[in-house]
Amino acid sequence: MNVIKWFGTLDRRWLYALLLFVVVTPLIRPLGIPVDVTESTAQFVEAVEKLKPGDKMLLVFDYSIGGGPDVDPQAQVVLAHALSKGVKVVEVAFIDTGLNYAQKTIEKWEKAGKVYGEDILLLGYAAGSETAISAFAQDIAQVFPIDIRGKPLSSYPIMQGIQNAGDFDFIAEFATGIPGPAEWIRQVVTRYNVPLGCGVVAVMGPQNVPYLQSGQLVGLLGGGLKSAAEYEIAVNMPGAATAAMDAQSLGHVVIVLFVLIGNLLFLVERTEQKARKG
Amino acid sequence: MDLATAKVWAGALCTFAIYSFLWKENRFFRAFQNLYVGLAAGYSLVVAFNTLKRQAWVPLAESGDVSVVVPIVFGILLFTRLSKKYGWIARYPMALLMGIGSALSMKAIESDFVRQIQASIISWKGTGIGGTFNNLVLSLGTAFALVYFFFTFKPTKASQVTGRLGRWVLMLCFGAAFGSAVQGRLSLLISQMQFLLRDWLRLIS
Repeated sequence: MNVIKWFGTLDRRWLYALLLFVVVTPLIRPLGIPVDVTESTAQFVEAVEKLKPGDKMLLVFDYSIGGGPDVDPQAQVVLAHALSKGVKVVEVAFIDTGLNYAQKTIEKWEKAGKVYGEDILLLGYAAGSETAISAFAQDIAQVFPIDIRGKPLSSYPIMQGIQNAGDFDFIAEFATGIPGPAEWIRQVVTRYNVPLGCGVVAVMGPQNVPYLQSGQLVGLLGGGLKSAAEYEIAVNMPGAATAAMDAQSLGHVVIVLFVLIGNLLFLVERTEQKARKG
Repeated sequence: MDLATAKVWAGALCTFAIYSFLWKENRFFRAFQNLYVGLAAGYSLVVAFNTLKRQAWVPLAESGDVSVVVPIVFGILLFTRLSKKYGWIARYPMALLMGIGSALSMKAIESDFVRQIQASIISWKGTGIGGTFNNLVLSLGTAFALVYFFFTFKPTKASQVTGRLGRWVLMLCFGAAFGSAVQGRLSLLISQMQFLLRDWLRLIS
């Protein structure tokens, strides 16, 4: 009982220190805690796996800097998977910070030998959230007369045969808020029936599961960094997300432990209060 | 020190400044918080300028596309809100935006209403015991949660019990969302530690 009460007087900074310790240690000395691939991730992998060389994917960077560490590893591994299969990828952003992430992927893959305009293309950023998505879905060239490098879209081989959102073989959307899966389903899936897979920050995961169950999403990476790790394992491309899983698991153990201790403390105090009154 | 190394050191300095808040609120933290706000505002301004240039100025000036004049004019009219005398003009583009937004949201009737109702009408019998349990949770959980929001008739004993069960379903959902939020915040910490250990200290590859 006294130990439980002692936790109540503990300076919160000790909790931060403990959390930091359990996060940093497995990053330096990995433990290799196994990670299972969940069904929603497997469905996403399968959808990308079905694409043939030359098929065209739209990759949407709708995420902010705050949610980037959760969602960016997802986008990175999906992009790497698609490009490894010879799929052509057109990138776009409907959140201004998403453009920054998209530009970094272009630099990275150009260095890796992919040809801009043939294998990969960045359209740019369009303001207007859901309205912009709707306009984009109807006529891409109207929203983006030129790409991020200032050339007309028709001058790029990758854009041949692409006029609206329905011309893509697959859309992968990564989001940290609005616009997110709901907006893309409303404006694109409902009208053009394009297969849509979404990756979201962990907090948005549960609220988007109904779209997966209804078939409006063909795959959902709803667990943030954990989903990215699952994807990396499923396609045998281990990266930063896989390396982070030990730290995430141990961090959760510490947090769950302190939630339990906090609740125990609450119960003890309430029991004592009742005894005093009673 | 080359530019790449300077960037890494700047990133490390920012990380320590922001995390110093965990020790206690301090000037170092406040200075870097303001720096972050300023940088974010500057970045948004540059992106907005470039977007206007690419999507409005280039089509108009270089391709002679006059159709962009209407949205440009309506966009400019939004700024009349800054004037006390002409502020009323901004209501017109605002009304147009609201109208378009409302019209576009109507598609939710199919995507969020009809399709979700369809997806909730399922056979209870699933693949194995786990599948059947999942289907039961899905359909009964949906029904109970809906009963919780019935306010238009006098509650009966049955509706009170199912409503209470619906509240439990909602609590479980909130719990899942909170757990996911914790997971997300931990990802941020891990990502920043990976940056410090990999790019700054070079302790991991």
